[in-house]
Amino acid sequence: MAKLQFRVLYREFLFRMVDLELLSVQGDMNKLLGQFAAVLVLVSIGQALHVVSVLDSASHMPRAELLIRAWPVEHSLVTMTMLVVGLFAVLSWDSIFPSRRDVLVLAPLPIRARTFFLAKVAASATALSVTVAALNALPGFVLPVALAPPDNGGLLNLILSLVSLRSFAAHWITVLAAGAFVFCCVLGVQGLAAQLLPRRRFLRVSAFLQMAAFSLFLSLYLLEPSMTTPKALAAPENQRLLACLPSYWFLGLFQLLNGSMHPALAPPAHRALGGLAVAVFAAATAFLLSYFRTLRRIVEEPDILPGARRASWLPRFGRPLETAVVQFSIRMLLRSRQHRVILAFYWGIGFAIVILLAKTRFAQQAPQVNVSMLVSSIVMLCVAVLGTRVVFSMPLELRANWIFRMAPVRGGPEFLAATRRSLFVLAVIPVWAASATLFLSVWPWRSAIGHLIVLGLLAIIFADLCLLGFRKIPFTCSYLPGKSYAHMAIWAFVVLQILLSIGAEYERRALENPAAYVALLFILCAAACGIRWRASALANKPESELQFDEEPAPALQGLGLRRDGILPLS
Amino acid sequence: MLELRGVSKRFLGIAAVDNVSFSARPGEVTGYLGPNGSTGLIEATSGQVFFEGAPIQRDLIAYKQRLGYVPEEPHLYAHLTGLEYLVMVGQLRGVSRAAAAKRIDGLLRLFALHGDRHVPISSYSKGMRQKVLLSAALLHNPDLILLDEPFSGLDVGSALILRSLIQELAARRKVVLFSSHELETVERVCSRVVILHRGKIVADDSIERLRALMALPTLEEIFSQLAVEQDTAAISREIADLIQS
Repeated sequence: MAKLQFRVLYREFLFRMVDLELLSVQGDMNKLLGQFAAVLVLVSIGQALHVVSVLDSASHMPRAELLIRAWPVEHSLVTMTMLVVGLFAVLSWDSIFPSRRDVLVLAPLPIRARTFFLAKVAASATALSVTVAALNALPGFVLPVALAPPDNGGLLNLILSLVSLRSFAAHWITVLAAGAFVFCCVLGVQGLAAQLLPRRRFLRVSAFLQMAAFSLFLSLYLLEPSMTTPKALAAPENQRLLACLPSYWFLGLFQLLNGSMHPALAPPAHRALGGLAVAVFAAATAFLLSYFRTLRRIVEEPDILPGARRASWLPRFGRPLETAVVQFSIRMLLRSRQHRVILAFYWGIGFAIVILLAKTRFAQQAPQVNVSMLVSSIVMLCVAVLGTRVVFSMPLELRANWIFRMAPVRGGPEFLAATRRSLFVLAVIPVWAASATLFLSVWPWRSAIGHLIVLGLLAIIFADLCLLGFRKIPFTCSYLPGKSYAHMAIWAFVVLQILLSIGAEYERRALENPAAYVALLFILCAAACGIRWRASALANKPESELQFDEEPAPALQGLGLRRDGILPLS
Repeated sequence: MLELRGVSKRFLGIAAVDNVSFSARPGEVTGYLGPNGSTGLIEATSGQVFFEGAPIQRDLIAYKQRLGYVPEEPHLYAHLTGLEYLVMVGQLRGVSRAAAAKRIDGLLRLFALHGDRHVPISSYSKGMRQKVLLSAALLHNPDLILLDEPFSGLDVGSALILRSLIQELAARRKVVLFSSHELETVERVCSRVVILHRGKIVADDSIERLRALMALPTLEEIFSQLAVEQDTAAISREIADLIQS
């Protein structure tokens, strides 16, 4: 009985990475998971190419030098694994610990807390392992081969040599340990907060912790200094910093397991073992306590704290319908953790690009108008608009959308205007205002205002482009995974980045030349008017009714009968 | 007046309602015992629904403007507070700001929700959610009120208020269509009743006339005779026997 319960719960927890209520009638969870795996494998290919490009040129070196040459490569693999596992932990934040729904559904059933607990642990461990495996699928094989000493017996011998096998084991143990460390840290912090705070207070704090964890993982990945040389690792001034950077601990652990330990990496290796032990113990304790102490509290206490009146006040945004949709969008986005995290992911990508640009040039060139800063502001605008548009497509409390279906409004144009306004309030205005503050404080006012006008026009163009054919009210239409081609979006973004650099260079020159600037404004105004006209024309079409399901139920509904649905003949 | 003429609705070929015609008049509460949803909320497979003599599909927006609807399931945006939800509904329905503020405040007080108006709906009990639905349905002073199991989850006091309210609304010349499985409540609240069986109307008259015609004392017995085919006592005995076996 318990084994069967375990299997059923394990499967249920494992496949509930995304709330199934989000999905459209035709929604297929496998597509979403497939897309997620495709992104990981794409990163894996990039990592493998990086390994080959760095180590191929060093293949003639003595092995001791080759191993040191491989430090940055192994470090980047560990860092990427920690980032991805960290983001995975942030995304699955709510599903790690028992939720109110879990308890309400399962409490009346004869299931032991132990079975419930073990199924959740097993599901989390499986998801974590699959994530790490997908990410390291290629570099996990390429790196050990590249690190093996040259062998005249051919590739197969090389792959099967003891040195390669040891490197292979060392790499996989290291990345799994690094992933487990990050995941356990998240669990430990979450569990500790759950134990120390009343449940309702914990839920509020938990939302901030989640965002803090997201920012921490991303900042660490982007801002971590490179210290992957023996000299930098041994430097006394770096020792305090090294003690705080777990990615270097696990670089040391790899060397320890690989039998290639350098004295400079011995202290970090020991920290990795100690840190992993502490994280696992803390997570196990917190997890056990939360299951056996807080299950009852979950049922007895409501999930949300009453809000203060002042905190809920929002201004009017035009006509009543527009005000209703914009206020609804703001409140939903601010109160839905899932949507906030997805939006934060997009903002994180934007900040990553800005930080990379900052690392290269613009800090030195800040007082003058420069391409890096122009590109940064446009990139932030694009990711903010795109991210907000994506979260608008994801529903919240889908079955409650009947109130919009019942609204006595003709649809199309009115709701398009309201949705556009929501996009401006939630994405364009914050980025534009932040850019205005920055540029007006560091650039001559003429250049700053010139760029802010261009940025405003680009915002209008990009917002209308994103809303072409969008016939939904934010958060009210079901979601059909597999339509976004996220893995292709990465390449599209690379192309966009190149185009932006060219465009920004043109704008920089135009800001110094009034005639060119007027021409630029004219082109942008024409583009803005054209796209606005197109969006309105699409919304005004008689067939463009408001959409509440990404793909409507088919006229003929298949019953999906399989073998067990075949009628017996006799 | 709300009038259904030959309305059919089929799901995967199975008729939920089949060629149904009846009318609900202002000033009376019409009880409806059968599958619902065919009065403009979902499109009928065939037939037409008329409100005040005009087909509702001709101007569905105008129809919705005059309709107040309480659905069976209390699906609400639980991340919003009760007050925020009602303000949003007022804006969607185009109720003027002053009128909406006055009515929302009054409805929240009268339904005893005022103290919890800043609390998210996710923390509300089923009865409180039902009161929010009722407030949202009445906020724009509708001429046609569709109530689908409106007593669900209400405490005794609120249920008594709602019962009087339904009759009061009818007395003010509103068209009230009331669907419920609680036959005693239907009997107390409604002046007329429409009973459907296998998608077809089997009775459409005042409750007094049905009682007299069928020589049965209660609506429950009338309904059992017209629309219940099974021997309920025998089935219940069988269930009790089965779980003991």
